This record gives sequence, C-alpha cells and structure tokens, in this order.
Amino acid sequence: MGRRSGDERNCRQDLPELVKHPTTRQLVQYAGAQGDFYEIHYDQGYAQSVALPGVILHGLLKAAFLGQLVTDWLGDRGDLKSFEVSYRGIDVPGRPYRCRGRVTKVDGDQVELEVWGEDPTASARRLGMRLWR
Amino acid sequence: MSTTTSVVERLRARIGVAAPPTEATVEAGHLKRFAEAIGDDNPRWKTEVPPTFLVALAPVSLHLAEAEEYGKGWLNGGNRFEYFEAVKVGDRVTATGKVADVYEKTGGSGSLLFIIFETDYVNQHGRTVARLRGTAIRR
Repeated sequence: MGRRSGDERNCRQDLPELVKHPTTRQLVQYAGAQGDFYEIHYDQGYAQSVALPGVILHGLLKAAFLGQLVTDWLGDRGDLKSFEVSYRGIDVPGRPYRCRGRVTKVDGDQVELEVWGEDPTASARRLGMRLWR
Repeated sequence: MSTTTSVVERLRARIGVAAPPTEATVEAGHLKRFAEAIGDDNPRWKTEVPPTFLVALAPVSLHLAEAEEYGKGWLNGGNRFEYFEAVKVGDRVTATGKVADVYEKTGGSGSLLFIIFETDYVNQHGRTVARLRGTAIRR
C-alpha cells in the first residue's frame, strides 16, 4: 500500500454542505441591502412579463450563499483570494438551495475549490472558486 | 442601420472609458443588514465584509440605460472577484468602473448582448483592495 500524498488526500475532501431556504421576503431584504431594485426579484407580474416563471433569486445572492459555504469551511485558516461564479440557470424562492463544494487542487499553500448550488429538481450548476491560504 | 446594431456600436464606443468614481464608507449598520439579508450569521461580518459585499457598497453607474433598447430583460451572467486586502468597517472605498467589452451572440433562441464590466475598489490608503469583473446580458 503506497503512501498517499497530502495533495491527494485533500483532493478528496468535500466541504460540509450548506442548505439555504430563500423566500420572496429574503429577496426583498437582499434587494434593499444590495441596492438592486430590478423588479424580476420581487414583482411577480413584472417577472412573468419578461418570460420568467415568477420572481427569481439574484445571482449575487446565490454567490453570497456560496461565499458562506466557503468562509464557514475556511474559518481563520486562510483568506479568500479569488472567487468566480457563472449563473447557469434561474432559481426561484420557496425551494431549498443546496450549496456544495470540494477541493480540486492543492499547490503549496494555495487551494482551489469547485463549488456549486443545486435545487431539488435541477441538475448541479457549477460555479468556480479559487482561494489561497 | 438597424436599431440593435446602433445600440451595440454606441456601447462599444464606451469600452475602456472609466465611469465617474463613487465613494462610500463601510458602515456597521449596512454590513449588518447585508449579512442578515444573505442569512450569514458569522460574527466575523460584524467588522469585516463578506465576499460579495462590495457590490452593495458602491454601485457603479455605467449609464447603460441605452442598452435597454436591446431585448427585453437583463440577466447576470457571472461575476469574478479578486481580493487583495480585507475591507473593514470604517474603510472608505472608491469604486471606479468601466466597460471592458461589448459583444453580441446569436444562437438558436435569438440574440444576446453581452456587456463585460470591470470595477476597481481602492481604500482610503490608496491601495486596491478588490477587483470585480461582471457579465451583464440583455436578452
């Protein structure tokens, strides 16, 4: 049995899952806190008029959820250096938003993660994130 | 010349032109409301800003209203944050944004307009604390 290197061990590491429960109320709260008052996030009639199923989550709210997944996991062990997300689908309030992630690369004191959000009906939507300690 | 072509051309003329800088101080109350809104009760966010906070701090006005002549709605395509230094309560941050690229893509379901913007955030000591790149899409 060969010894497994630290890199290989870390590459198998999953981040503890974080499940968020966004509501329309939270979207209004977030709209106020960010200052993004685009109506697709709180006005059902407007959202439907632009061919959406109803109000949808702010992409940056989903990014904040994934940021929390990472900062909860990271604690005071290091600093986030770079964080990249792509919004590959729409998500609606009233459904759990499951944040998941794993370590994909360890190089010295630099760590790269892959994180993504899932809803109960959709396939995984991957978002990327890199961080270095 | 069609309307959509001229919108794209007018927006392309803005590439690289910096918008007027906007300045804001990181306030404890705003930070608290933001942390509550994202549902993150990490005590660290009482004094330091969480990863996506800067978009809420100093919204950059890129005067892209005329892009609304194109399509019928905005979508956020993605964001990339780079962090160089922690931002804390009391810091005064200046955000300067610019349009980095504008292009149109035509696919099976119609045309989309992509506007790539970049924002630099500089603190009261003159140090760049973060950089944001974003993709706004008109569909």
